[in-house]
Amino acid sequence: MRELLAPLRVLRYSAGNAWADMWVIFSPLTWSLGWVSRVLVQVVFFALIGLLVDSDDAVRYLFIGNAVMITAMEATMSVTTTTWERRQGTMPLLVAAPTRLWPVFVGRGVQWLPTGVITASVALFGLGPAFGVEWTLARALTVFGCLVAVAVATYCFALLLSAIVLTVMDLHNIVSNLAQAITMLIAGVMVPVTFWPGWVQGAAQALPLTHGLAAIRTAVDASTVASVAGDVTAGLVFTIGVGACWLLSAALLLEYLAAAGRRSGSIEFAE
Amino acid sequence: MTALRTGLQFQARMLRRSFGDLIALVTAPLMTLVFLAIIRHGGREDLAPYAVLAPALIVLWGVALMVSGEIVARDRENESLEAIVASPTSFTGVLTGRIAAVTFVSLVGFAESWLAAFLVFRVAVPVFHPTAFILIVGVTAFAMAATACVMSAIFVLARSARAFQNSLTYPFYVLGGVMVPIALLPDWLEPISRLVFLSWSSDLLRDALSPAPIADLAPRLLAILILGTAAYLLGVALVRRTVNRLRHTGSLSYA
Repeated sequence: MRELLAPLRVLRYSAGNAWADMWVIFSPLTWSLGWVSRVLVQVVFFALIGLLVDSDDAVRYLFIGNAVMITAMEATMSVTTTTWERRQGTMPLLVAAPTRLWPVFVGRGVQWLPTGVITASVALFGLGPAFGVEWTLARALTVFGCLVAVAVATYCFALLLSAIVLTVMDLHNIVSNLAQAITMLIAGVMVPVTFWPGWVQGAAQALPLTHGLAAIRTAVDASTVASVAGDVTAGLVFTIGVGACWLLSAALLLEYLAAAGRRSGSIEFAE
Repeated sequence: MTALRTGLQFQARMLRRSFGDLIALVTAPLMTLVFLAIIRHGGREDLAPYAVLAPALIVLWGVALMVSGEIVARDRENESLEAIVASPTSFTGVLTGRIAAVTFVSLVGFAESWLAAFLVFRVAVPVFHPTAFILIVGVTAFAMAATACVMSAIFVLARSARAFQNSLTYPFYVLGGVMVPIALLPDWLEPISRLVFLSWSSDLLRDALSPAPIADLAPRLLAILILGTAAYLLGVALVRRTVNRLRHTGSLSYA
């Protein structure tokens, strides 16, 4: 039983590190005044393009898409912070420790989950009415649940990217930013997924945000949440399912890298 | 002049080795596709010039903020600032050269945007007033480099300002009207946005892509030049003050 619970204990310690990192990067003042306001203006910037296109529907569509995108964007930022573990030179110790490597990395960037959900919530619930989105308690709770699912599932996707960039550290910023830009482009944030050719639509299905955002749009556009409960639940199941696949792939890749590093003597995953 | 040239050459070499700093250039084509997708989906292909200009201006600002703005702070962190300040060459000359190199490289964003629009969406955006366009880009690059000089000093002078560095992007994209012209925003924003050189640049650049004659080209260019010159003078004064303060307090490096 103790062995089964060991990954959870490692995960808890690693999450503690992540949380400490969060308050090194930000103070409560710089996070709320600097980061949250910057992200809210980002949402407004894209929503305003609807004004340029001269369509209220476009303003609303862009507002919802970009507000939810923030959750995915912050979860993807974990690609950068997770790789700090290698930069800090702790890899040999981690690999030598009598535990698996993957729980360390799963916990290493979790600070982006609550911040992504909170920031997107502030945007959706705070600015929403100004952009034509009205809230009832049931609708708000449903959307909040979807945001949590999007955050966790996208974080799992980002974990695989983190594992990949552990071998090419110089690319961590590029991979993180490219992942965000591609997600923004094809996951239904700016235009419906059906706007793109079939192969792009297929690729979009592998992104958790595609399913989570579709569920949120369904909940927001319906007259009552109860009338679309089935569709929203299906969207959530897809979001979590896709995320679970990414988590499994990331854990397998991390364990493979640790084993390969031990064998080749390049335990720091040097290139 | 030698300091300027040396700074320029040094920064060009640095950029070749730290490609990750130019992340904005990697994402610029994707941002072009984002903007083009929105306007095409909205049935407004006439707005294609807006969609290709916006990412180029975002690259210009983003690179200035994240690379040029960091120059003095990074020199201080890697303890090379002491040697540069101790040398008998002009520190502001070297800094100006380095910022000029970064700004020049960031202009590649214009070519990337046009190319991405053409290759993916087969959208070709003609430049109806090429001479004016080049002139506006040149003046805009000067104003950008000058503004970067101010950032560079502020991020060292007030270390807490660095925590807000990332926050200086989208608010300026809105105030600078890089995608949505200021005329479409609430009236009370206009006086503020006119203090941001980007608002003059983005309007003028869009006009240069339109077949209609450009109205009041000279006074509008002058506005960018005045804002740029004011920023440069402020930047140089702040950099000198910063370096003098660091000399005075013996804190040129963090060691």
